[in-house]
Amino acid sequence: MARIQLLLVAVVVILLACLPLVIEKDSTLNLLVLILLFIIMASSWNILGGFTGQTSLGHAAFFGLGSLATRLLWIQGFPLLPSLLAGGGLAVVFALVIGIPAFKLKGVYFAIGTLALGQILFVTVGNLFPTISALPVEALRTYQLAPRYYLFLVLTILTVGFAYLLANSRVGLGMMAVREDEDAAEALGVNARRHKLLALVFSAFLAGMAGSAFAYYHVSYYYQFPFAPIWSFDTLTMVYIGGQGTIIGPIVGAIFFVLLREFLVLNVGEYHLIVFGVLFILVVLFLPGGFVEAWEKIRNLLVRRRSKRDRNASTTA
Amino acid sequence: MTEAFVQIIIFGILIGALYGLAALGLSMVFGVTKILNIAHGELIMLGGYASFWLFRLVGLDPFISLPLTMLIMAVVGLVLYKLLFVRTVKLPEEEKIKNTMLIGFGLTLILQNIALILWTADDRGITTAYSGQVFTVLNIRFPIVRVAGFAVALICLLSLHLFLRKTYTGKAIRATVEDWEAAALMGINIQQVYMLSFVLGAALAGVAGALVSVTFSIDPSMGMHWTLKALIVMVLGGLGSIAGTFAGGILLGATESATAFLIGGNYREVIGLLLFLLVLIFRPQGLLGAKER
Amino acid sequence: MMKKRLSFLILIAILLSMVLTGCAPATEEPAPPEPAPAEEEPVAEEPAEEEPAPPPPAPEFIEIGASIPMTGKFGSLGNMVLPGYEYAVAAINADGGIYVEEYDAKIPVRFTYYDDESDPTKAVSKLETLYADQDVTVYLGGAGSAMHAAASAIAEKNQVPYCGIAFALYEIHQQGYQYLFSPFPKSPDMARDVYEYVNANVPEGERPTKVAIFAYNTDWGKELGGLWEDNAAEYGYEVVVREETPLAPDNDYTDAILKAKAAGAEMLLSMPIFPDGSGMFKTMAELDWAPKFALVIRAPEGVNWGESMGTIGEYVTIFPGWHHGADFPGVDELNAVYEADFGRPADLLTGPAYACVQIVAAAIESAGTLDRAAVRDAMAATDLETVMGRVTFNEDGTGNVWNPLIQWLNGALELVVPEDHATAEFFYPAPPFGER
Repeated sequence: MARIQLLLVAVVVILLACLPLVIEKDSTLNLLVLILLFIIMASSWNILGGFTGQTSLGHAAFFGLGSLATRLLWIQGFPLLPSLLAGGGLAVVFALVIGIPAFKLKGVYFAIGTLALGQILFVTVGNLFPTISALPVEALRTYQLAPRYYLFLVLTILTVGFAYLLANSRVGLGMMAVREDEDAAEALGVNARRHKLLALVFSAFLAGMAGSAFAYYHVSYYYQFPFAPIWSFDTLTMVYIGGQGTIIGPIVGAIFFVLLREFLVLNVGEYHLIVFGVLFILVVLFLPGGFVEAWEKIRNLLVRRRSKRDRNASTTA
Repeated sequence: MTEAFVQIIIFGILIGALYGLAALGLSMVFGVTKILNIAHGELIMLGGYASFWLFRLVGLDPFISLPLTMLIMAVVGLVLYKLLFVRTVKLPEEEKIKNTMLIGFGLTLILQNIALILWTADDRGITTAYSGQVFTVLNIRFPIVRVAGFAVALICLLSLHLFLRKTYTGKAIRATVEDWEAAALMGINIQQVYMLSFVLGAALAGVAGALVSVTFSIDPSMGMHWTLKALIVMVLGGLGSIAGTFAGGILLGATESATAFLIGGNYREVIGLLLFLLVLIFRPQGLLGAKER
Repeated sequence: MMKKRLSFLILIAILLSMVLTGCAPATEEPAPPEPAPAEEEPVAEEPAEEEPAPPPPAPEFIEIGASIPMTGKFGSLGNMVLPGYEYAVAAINADGGIYVEEYDAKIPVRFTYYDDESDPTKAVSKLETLYADQDVTVYLGGAGSAMHAAASAIAEKNQVPYCGIAFALYEIHQQGYQYLFSPFPKSPDMARDVYEYVNANVPEGERPTKVAIFAYNTDWGKELGGLWEDNAAEYGYEVVVREETPLAPDNDYTDAILKAKAAGAEMLLSMPIFPDGSGMFKTMAELDWAPKFALVIRAPEGVNWGESMGTIGEYVTIFPGWHHGADFPGVDELNAVYEADFGRPADLLTGPAYACVQIVAAAIESAGTLDRAAVRDAMAATDLETVMGRVTFNEDGTGNVWNPLIQWLNGALELVVPEDHATAEFFYPAPPFGER
């Protein structure tokens, strides 16, 4: 069975890798980039929020720091790869700095505390770097979308792969133990603070790398923009709607969110956000645990019905 | 120099009372029902528009029309609760916070864009005959509008306090906060308590909105800004503490203004947030909050 | 294990559907969301019926696209810009379209716009969509310097001519962009004209020589604030307060106003967005600092300023690039259609938006083709009488345009400088708030 899984994943990856050769329209690739970007964001948030149970509202801070470091270095002529890694690195440094004090806070206090941290960076970066960061004219003329797409694709595969491995590792199980009951985990010898810190660092690095890729991808934006709180909210929303704490949940959530929104923008016009809001609320009300939980419910129902039918069949026979 | 500083701090405190009021409804709803309504800012926005249109179309002074604004927003709150939030009350606490946040997220989009279609993206504000008028004490200027806003916020705070302490319904609400299962066993109708709290929270948002429309201005996309402020103030003051919420608002307002004076406008918000984080690190339960149970 | 396998199956299914949906537009060609029906009616079909001459078959439409902030913090500006585009396109289409020599036919214009929610990054992605799906010949801009700064880079990347108004940022024109055109007064014009106009209209000795500048800490804020400060001495002014604030809806100007008051400032130069500007003026009234002259760009540009601010908002002046009282050909017609829909003459930014489309149409006609590079060259060579007067462009894409001064008087926007277009007399000095 594992082999089939692997095969399917490989097929998807190959398919995605071939896309730029088939698709001529930049807008389609741009949409895919956006989806991949949010898969990385959601999956990375999920390591901290889903596996470890620490709901952060400041995920944009890591994304923003990643984009800031990369953009500043890369535009000044630094080679691309070190610039990208510097983005992830800066996010990790920030995570280490805030980690100890931040984890003094629990639950809602942690959530709002991280929101405040994100907001501080948002305003400060806006103050320090008030000008637009546009690619120079020569770079604009030679801009190629495909390499950007591949960068996002690789990062997405790495992120999802890492989350998968983590979830099945000792460290990952420790994180989930912390989520379920911190005191009980400690009693069993799981160092809660270390596991939380580790989750934060992983989460920050991956979000930082998403920011790095964004800096490489985007033609012109304000340095402050990737720090905007909406990045945190959108990410968290995607994870919740997909299924928190699972591997597939953030992926499904990101795809659903981005595609639905884009579809409505193009087709519903003026009312697109109202329709989006209504559909969104309906999904939340009817699938309170997200898509993954809903799917499991349906599957259980099917399995039960089938086994019942089987049983009925065997009794009548 | 010192006179200017005092003047600035006074203005900061007056604004801070508005922050406190904006957070009061959010805090009340969250404390009682564990519904984290991130569309609270949108309710403030709707309250602002209610007040604005009562002023523009009927000529009602925004302070006179406050009961009407509250009533309108209470109805809006009732509809939203009955239509949406009532479906979440049976969920376990963590699930409930999560799901109500998501509903709130959808709601922000819906309410914002309805407002946009109905009333355009134009910013609006109320300017009354007494806008800009002041009275002076010891050379410090007290604008009538802001002082009246402060008084209204204070009245809301005190009446809420009295309501929770002195009335049967208020006691039922407090009992529910303490331990809803025990309260239910004692014959308190939890469903009604939840609904009442939510409606009250919406009405308070209406008051805040009316004050915003007369002190600042309103537009369909203003909600996010006020939700963020209200969340910060709610936590700064301490969850479940009415007095703390108000104190938190005033502290934040005064700090922001002092920063504008001492450091400059660019870092006004940053210093306010840093103060917030410092308070949290030393008092993780907020200024006047009870220790986490 | 079963569970895991199934989750992977969903993943596959969803990824596949994603791929498919991603491809769909390529074949389906989705209808634009907002094609105003009026614009599509006059689909000129006569050219196709003409004798089988050499010209290739004309495309059905000339595609023009825009990303406009209809919501969010620049929403009120975007709402003034959009009707300008729509009326101009409607006027062109009522005439059968734009004549394009290459096809020897008049081709109607199809105008498609998206709301970017005042989010520069969304604007960028919308412009990419317009380029890929609509294959636009020309971009029209949104509103607000921050939006244009982000959007114009896309125009350059895709090499699509871009005509944008309602932004004064000069710096963006100095990046070597070839495709960016803006028939709108820029920071250097605004920084010069404000002093020149006041000097021309106020006798020496009565001039508000002490200046307070409240400018945003943004690229445009720094640029214009700096130029205001640099130019002051040359015209006999002195900047006594320069306050920098972040672009936020709720800045607290108490400190800045007290400083300005203490320093005896008589002139205010500022550029707040509406909520911030209304807060600024209410605080000014409360602290009783009424500058004799106030130039406030942005916040007072819409009619909602007068409605919301009452007498507190009176006497404020603006540089919006246009006014419905302008004495240029076409203005009356624009006002008439606008009045029919909105019950008032055209808004301040509607005129420049209208002019943008006039310029684009003339450029396409003179290029005689829909080739973007040729249209760009034709735009660079623009010399056209528009609803905002005669427009030519400099090398850097900035326009040589008219820069009228508008003032709020008796609850209405009046054109006060230059005199030959004026609808009311320039009012100076503004009285204290208590005496209004």
